[in-house]
Amino acid sequence: MSACQHRWEMTNIQFGFVVFEKCFHCNGLGIYFTAEDNPILGDKYRDGDCFWSRVENAQSFRFDLECIKCGHLEKFDDLMGLMHCTGCLPDCEVEIQQAGLEAERTWILVAFGFLHKDQRKLISQYKLDILTDYFNQRRDTSRSRMKIISFDLIKDLSMCRGDFIHDVGMLSPEPPTERKPLF
Amino acid sequence: MTTKDLIEKLGLKPLSKFEHRDINGVFVSDMLSDVMAGAKSGNIWLTVQTHKSIVPAANLVDVSAIIVTGGKDVPQETIDIASKYNIAILSTNLPTFELVGKLYGLGPLTK
Repeated sequence: MSACQHRWEMTNIQFGFVVFEKCFHCNGLGIYFTAEDNPILGDKYRDGDCFWSRVENAQSFRFDLECIKCGHLEKFDDLMGLMHCTGCLPDCEVEIQQAGLEAERTWILVAFGFLHKDQRKLISQYKLDILTDYFNQRRDTSRSRMKIISFDLIKDLSMCRGDFIHDVGMLSPEPPTERKPLF
Repeated sequence: MTTKDLIEKLGLKPLSKFEHRDINGVFVSDMLSDVMAGAKSGNIWLTVQTHKSIVPAANLVDVSAIIVTGGKDVPQETIDIASKYNIAILSTNLPTFELVGKLYGLGPLTK
């Protein structure tokens, strides 16, 4: 185990799109990152029994974190995005944690891994702690702090109305008036 | 310079509830991913975006204030979330380019 008190910096930044696709046979959801210039909505393809169609895309980026003291690199290519809890489900563990930490000005964001077909990929607690450290190292922690938690704390993903920090509709001449729920 | 100084010098309109704080630079972008990757704690962020998701992005990287340019209407929902997170949302009718010019004219923002 490293004795280094890591000081993280963002590296290997790659801008692109997070693409959401749905199978109209099994109703499965797949999410992946692409560096394509302009992923086309409605693109369809067949994979076995599944008929996948791109239903939404959002401009986003991926990155790794590197310790500027020891050079240790932690890859975050499995991080789909960070979501802001809107408090839509009062008995959801995310909202409960947020309410508990609000008095000490610690704000929560929820980290999502990519989804492929019906597999949900969690970001490990080790990496969530690194993300939390990184974003706190980037801020004036005498004012407030951040905490990054895992999406499996969400009570019911299908009911969640959280808001991803993604750029939606940036390729459209008219900004969308409302964002569709992603799940 | 502080957010209070900036409001007075440039006639910005505060929309949210917040505590004034020091400013150490300017970041201009309309993309949240850009802000998450590049903005620094204490920067002011100039944008025409008004969707509520600008607030968690600003909070994540600890900007001093979001300045919405071009006289865009900011939804009340966005203002309410900003007040909850103690994030300053300031508004101006100036287009981004003109505001950047005025900010440049103020000289270094830090002593």
